[in-house]
Amino acid sequence: MDALDTLIQPHRVHRSLYTDPDIFVTEMEKVFGGAWVYLAHESQLPEPNDFITARIGLRPLILTRDDDGGLHGLFNRCAHRASTVCQSECGSARRFQCSYHGWTYSNRGELVNVPFAEGYPPDFDLSDHGLAQVPRLGTYRGLIFGTLNVDAPSLADWLGPAGPLIDEFVDRSPSGRIEVRNCQRMVYRGNWKLAWDNAGDGLHPTFAHRSFLVLNERQHGGARSLSQFKASPDDTGMYGADLGNGHMFVDQRPGLQQSFWETQRPVPGREWYADRIVESHGDGAAEVLEMAPGSMINLSIFPNLLIKGNHLETVDPVSVGETRLHTWVAAAEGAPEEVNVLRMRIAEDFPSLGNPDDLEIFERCQEGLAIPEVEWVDMSKGLGHPAEEVAADGVRRAPVTHEGPMRGYLRAWLKLMSADAKLTTARAGETSFEKAA
Amino acid sequence: MDAPAASVLDDRLYQRLVELAAPDGAERGPGRPDLRPAVEQALHHEARLLDERLYRAWLDRFTQDCVYWIPLDPAGDPRTRVSYLLDDRRRMEDRIGLLETGWAHAQEPPSRTCRIVSNVEAWPLGDGDTLARCSTVVWEYRKDRLTPFASRNDYVLATLGENWSVRFKIVRLVDSRSDVRKFSFVL
Repeated sequence: MDALDTLIQPHRVHRSLYTDPDIFVTEMEKVFGGAWVYLAHESQLPEPNDFITARIGLRPLILTRDDDGGLHGLFNRCAHRASTVCQSECGSARRFQCSYHGWTYSNRGELVNVPFAEGYPPDFDLSDHGLAQVPRLGTYRGLIFGTLNVDAPSLADWLGPAGPLIDEFVDRSPSGRIEVRNCQRMVYRGNWKLAWDNAGDGLHPTFAHRSFLVLNERQHGGARSLSQFKASPDDTGMYGADLGNGHMFVDQRPGLQQSFWETQRPVPGREWYADRIVESHGDGAAEVLEMAPGSMINLSIFPNLLIKGNHLETVDPVSVGETRLHTWVAAAEGAPEEVNVLRMRIAEDFPSLGNPDDLEIFERCQEGLAIPEVEWVDMSKGLGHPAEEVAADGVRRAPVTHEGPMRGYLRAWLKLMSADAKLTTARAGETSFEKAA
Repeated sequence: MDAPAASVLDDRLYQRLVELAAPDGAERGPGRPDLRPAVEQALHHEARLLDERLYRAWLDRFTQDCVYWIPLDPAGDPRTRVSYLLDDRRRMEDRIGLLETGWAHAQEPPSRTCRIVSNVEAWPLGDGDTLARCSTVVWEYRKDRLTPFASRNDYVLATLGENWSVRFKIVRLVDSRSDVRKFSFVL
């Protein structure tokens, strides 16, 4: 592995970031262990004793709620001989018993029973053998994050200017809360950062999503979904931003020529459900209908959460050349039921019509990256442009087709990869908890 | 071109789908042997239309109030759960239209498929429709990869015989809750 800072240059990045298994191992440890990583949303474990599994890089985790409602990030690894102790994706449990030798843990991670206890050394203390835990957990508007890095900034500082943008996403619900429903799961044969590059990339829709653009024009006409990227996206007012700490933002809202609802491609049930909303809300119906389509923002919280449409999508690396994307759909809590029925159909629309083309292209990139002699990936668009200056709020905003957001997350990546952060685990009761908002 | 027809999907239609999609609880007993030849005729013909990518001819076999549904959560109510897709006729046309643009990268090169339809059973539904259930494996070949898509499918057929037609098609992938490669050919 070459010195990392030679691999990321102002205008380009070395192919080994996408292909080198050693770099992958290090980034699973340092980037995913050292950053605040998104784990799940509170609505996925609403009741005492609920749990849901997650991962921090390659580390399997059980996120639990104890009977007092407190959250715990338990590593899914028996303290005895390392077997995972929980096999379900989610559910409700007070205890987790290892199937191998019967060690049993509470949902706070304490070891509560060891079968045939006779024979252990006299100083064997159950309290020394609980499940290892994530030392720092925090929440922001219901989003649960964790880090192994005791030196990491507070969650609020880590999110920085991304925080108020999360607020904008969540505040589309009348109650100010989202309810996370089920998940579309997909996998592609490519490095995880290909998805990350793409998430801040306002240059690709015109080309990568040409099928979707042409279809909408032919079948439905007008300024429908994504038509803001049809030609000259930079003339629409849309912009991309490097928010610092690797977070990225693409704001499509300035590019819309009409309301969200009018822009939205027609989805199944559009007419019947819109009619019900008009019947029940009269003059207020237009405002209610605005809640159904996606948020028209792409907010990427480094290193593993992509907020877009009405989705919370997690980027879950499997190996240097394979990545899972789990797209959780968010319902608007407090909205009329019809809005959320429409949200379900809208949540299938671009993901099934547009995303297959993205994933195909990620795999094509990984194929092209296999050539050792062709070393560099260009990310120079917008470099040196006056709009790349850091504004007073620490944010670099630039026309939407610029590649500044990608350069920004790579700066954060390099910082985490180069740091000697202290990554640790905690014992039961030692986790610190931050409610950032 | 003419604006596509409005969606007919409403709460009543959703309710019918939910009732149909609760298959494991409702033991119907063995299928009716006399219905099976006509049902197989339709399902085998459909399989051939899709394998040959005759998508417009395939779509012509669906009723105006049709639903084509690939759930992710087999027991879930599609009003509250997201699916891989739940299409009415208009979105089925979009899906085919997308492939016809010539710019659908995920189908460049196109998938070649071979689907095996088996374990066909059929029951009359009382209103003139026929319920058919089968097991299907679609073998997809694309870019050096042969991928099986195994599913248990439900059909509600509105007509049998020469003019067979489909009201509902539900594709229940056995691995719908695990990570799948995104596909844009028609299952």
